[in-house]
Amino acid sequence: MWAIKGRIVPMASDASVAADEKAAFAGKVWIGDDGRVAAVTRARRKDPPGSENALVVDVGTSLVLPGFVDLHNHLAYNTLPLWSEPGRPAPYAHHNSWPGAKSYAGEVTWPAYALITAAPAELLAYVETKAIVGGTTTIQGSPPKNRPRDGWLVRNLEDETFGTGNANLVYASVLTAKPAQLAARANSMRAGSLFVYHCAEGKPGTIVAREFEAAQRAGCLQNRFVAVHATAVPKEGFAAWGGQGAAPGAIAWSPFSNLWLYGETTDVPAALANGIAVCLGSDWAPSGTKHVLGEAKVARLASKAFGWNLADADIVRMMTSVPGDVLARAWPCQVGRLQPRAVADVVVIGAKAGAEPFGTVVDATERDVELVVVDGRPRYGTKALMKAAGAKPTTTVRVAGEQRALALTQPDDPAAVLKWGDVVDRLNEVRKHPKREIENAQATLAAWAGRLDADDAPLRLALDMPTGASPVGGLPKDLDDVTVPPLETLAHDRAWLDAVSGGGFHGGLLDDLARWYP
Amino acid sequence: MTEAPATAATAQEGVPLVDHLAQQVLNELDGGERALVVDTLTDVIGGAYAHLPAKRAAYAVDPVRALTQLRRRSGDLTDTDFHRMLAGVVTGLRDAHTRYAARRTMTVAALPFLVEQYGPYASPTFIVGKVAESMVGDRHFKKGVRIERFNAVPIARAVDVYADRETGGRPDARRSRALESFTFRSLKHQPPPDEVEAVIDFVHDGKERRVSFPWRVVDPQRATTAVRPGTRGSAKLAVNSAAEMVRRGKMLMFSFDVWAAQFNEAKAAPSTTARGASDWIETSFPDNLAARAWETGGRTVGYLRVWTFDVDDVDGFLAEVERLLALLPRDGVIVDLRGNPGGLVWAAERMLQLFTSKPIQPTRFSLVASPLTRSMAQSPFNRMELEAWAPSLEDAVSTGDLYSQPLPLTDPEWCNEGRGTYPGPAVAVVDANTYSSGDLFAAGWADHGIGDLVTIGEATGGGGANVWTSSMLRDALAGTEHAFAALPDEARFTLSVRRAIRSGLSDGIPIEDLGIAGVPYDLTRSDLLDGNVDLVAFCADLLERR
Repeated sequence: MWAIKGRIVPMASDASVAADEKAAFAGKVWIGDDGRVAAVTRARRKDPPGSENALVVDVGTSLVLPGFVDLHNHLAYNTLPLWSEPGRPAPYAHHNSWPGAKSYAGEVTWPAYALITAAPAELLAYVETKAIVGGTTTIQGSPPKNRPRDGWLVRNLEDETFGTGNANLVYASVLTAKPAQLAARANSMRAGSLFVYHCAEGKPGTIVAREFEAAQRAGCLQNRFVAVHATAVPKEGFAAWGGQGAAPGAIAWSPFSNLWLYGETTDVPAALANGIAVCLGSDWAPSGTKHVLGEAKVARLASKAFGWNLADADIVRMMTSVPGDVLARAWPCQVGRLQPRAVADVVVIGAKAGAEPFGTVVDATERDVELVVVDGRPRYGTKALMKAAGAKPTTTVRVAGEQRALALTQPDDPAAVLKWGDVVDRLNEVRKHPKREIENAQATLAAWAGRLDADDAPLRLALDMPTGASPVGGLPKDLDDVTVPPLETLAHDRAWLDAVSGGGFHGGLLDDLARWYP
Repeated sequence: MTEAPATAATAQEGVPLVDHLAQQVLNELDGGERALVVDTLTDVIGGAYAHLPAKRAAYAVDPVRALTQLRRRSGDLTDTDFHRMLAGVVTGLRDAHTRYAARRTMTVAALPFLVEQYGPYASPTFIVGKVAESMVGDRHFKKGVRIERFNAVPIARAVDVYADRETGGRPDARRSRALESFTFRSLKHQPPPDEVEAVIDFVHDGKERRVSFPWRVVDPQRATTAVRPGTRGSAKLAVNSAAEMVRRGKMLMFSFDVWAAQFNEAKAAPSTTARGASDWIETSFPDNLAARAWETGGRTVGYLRVWTFDVDDVDGFLAEVERLLALLPRDGVIVDLRGNPGGLVWAAERMLQLFTSKPIQPTRFSLVASPLTRSMAQSPFNRMELEAWAPSLEDAVSTGDLYSQPLPLTDPEWCNEGRGTYPGPAVAVVDANTYSSGDLFAAGWADHGIGDLVTIGEATGGGGANVWTSSMLRDALAGTEHAFAALPDEARFTLSVRRAIRSGLSDGIPIEDLGIAGVPYDLTRSDLLDGNVDLVAFCADLLERR
């Protein structure tokens, strides 16, 4: 057992921890050897039994929260920069509009393909690191893999089995599903699975609204249904969904991506008014923020711009307790809350004494993320806190101008460090020689004679987004024409903000992100 | 890849078949392994085989039913009988793309000569077309002698009996393929010869003589320029793999210098065969191409031989064809694709643009619509390869279509790149052993009206599909409900996965079995013995008329 001592913001539903989700108090979060929260204690209360010799990491006045949940992403693409079609005058109508853009395949599909094919382990290391530097401990949208792999740095929502061996705890679908497929998923949800479904992504009134209607007809509007985007769902749709029961399900809200592509976003007030859980997701790098902590700022900007009056506490709930409760409908345990028996996913955010906690979290940047714990193990943080927490082995990574320690291990040896420099070097090698590296990887895979789902099989990843208007077979005539851009930095920075100001269809709304990332 | 042997003698001699078979250690399959192999073939032939509806109709065969029956009996069979019966079911589909291979060897069983035929189909004459003289002790047995009997069976009957084991869809195609592999058998794709020694009765100077040759096993290896396994091109192959190995075997036996040149440039001495003679233009793709100017009937025309489309570097290949065409006479060119077993689809289809300025529409390919192909197309691991086919496979559930939407494997832009076009008229020559990507080239040639298509036999071989290996299919189905386990080493197969249909003037017509017909021509004795002189003259006349 070990503990983190600081200002605890537990987001708990357990009354023995706090009366409500807005509570914040000086205390300790006790983490058991099983990776679960053993106890949450207030400063003046006694420590729990068995904690006499436990390591206590004191983070001072910093905030100790449940790790953030990013309920919508596409990790395979997260080394890429923001994408927009040059010269495009008007927002896209829906999700089938932009994959046909002339530059899409060359700037999105091909470079992503090169990296997942030639350096799959390094790609995962990079993009999971990009998530964890923003305090993410659970993320949706990990690329399909050929062999089971419970989380490495960050909990991958689709892969997580919690040791049950049940790979069907969560289903996800990016592409529009046929009625029969939706019907099958409706029954899967009735049997206990969560279904994360890209649904009605586009402007209201466009044809993609039918995706929601089809989901409704198939019986998918259940409490284990997560509709990603749902931007084209009208108020009546949310009302119909809300009428299904006391806890009607959830939407994954990605305001940056919606504003970037369509100039509009989900009718969040209508969803909330009908009892639908609203969870944040940063979406992928070509049209999203770098992690869910960045997306929180967009949520605040959108709320202000559209007059929704979302409180900062509401926004923090959207990336902690709300998605945690949604996941608990399929998972055998709780994330997103710090309370006994919950999974010990923890984030520490730097704060001054007495600071209002939720506004502080929404305002936090990568520099403020001081420690991230996944499954009870310190994974990322300042060198001092990682050392204090006994993290080893670690590698050093530079984030927003500061050095951080990262407990990144070799994919096949959890005791051996994977150096950050090696990760970056390998990805850059693929960038320099995409043809050679793609062909080498394909040859290695072709030479593998065993089962592809065997533990020692070469790791194979797949892209989960549309491939776009490209030749049949998806790649250019000459693989040397695959251009992989420089790796997107881990933190929101000036170059990224410049791209935000110059692209997309947000009408300047997102320019205000410069307030946090000057 | 191993290096080429130092001398022609070592490479051509190989090892006696009887020794080779003695050295082969074949693990016998137990009952469970046999069941796995049969179940896998049942699933993929029933769910992914692109020609199943057509083959059921054309040959009144039901391979799925046959495999079901074989499964019931498989435990009682000897190992050899099991493999032979399984191969028999698959060969009964008459599809050179779809084969069952009970051996992993890449070797070829060979006799040191070729049997060729000339004259009308109904009354052909069989002669020795080529001889590896260093391997033949009998001075009377030489190029041009007429063959009377093979193992004491009249040669016409022997060829027809062997043809029954072959895969051609039409009788002429089967015979043609039988002749092609009569003295060269790919041991990966076919059982070894029944006899260890072949006895030939032949006529020389009016006198009948007898000679015997032991079957020997040679290793022709894949060309260094061939499509590499695992590359994206390997999923875009349309090739008769057995014929490709036989082609390599013949090259080893009859054009050793050309065969050896690719392994070691130091060995690239001028060949003593016709292909290496001084009037042949040197090429950097000797496994694929040969070119020369040809005087006939007072005219000089260009002659371009395209041996195979099995080439990895397509841009380099096309650039080489452009270079060779530029060196040939401008008044007309003969493009000879006889015996071309195919290769990379877009090598063939992109080459068409070098002979016409008309826009080229590539051949299109369909998947058979089934739960298996739907599942395969939906797998995220196949998105890059099959995403374009997925919507129509789903729609087929409602429309009842047997096939998906046909889509090209070669991007149309790649076929119309604005490359230099040969300025004169062109004529293409094909035969029943022009197969697969060779068929696609011939189809494109005819359907775009590029020039006359001269056909030896009724038509091209009629191989209309994109072919995948069992391991490729296993990878593509991994993670789906149709996934199959790794097969024993002794059991591999290839399968026609995407059916080709023609474009342009013959839009929608399948290629399989039908082939591409053109201007008929029967080879003469002079063609076989004097370097195609009559054929070239015939083609030159056609060029003159254009």
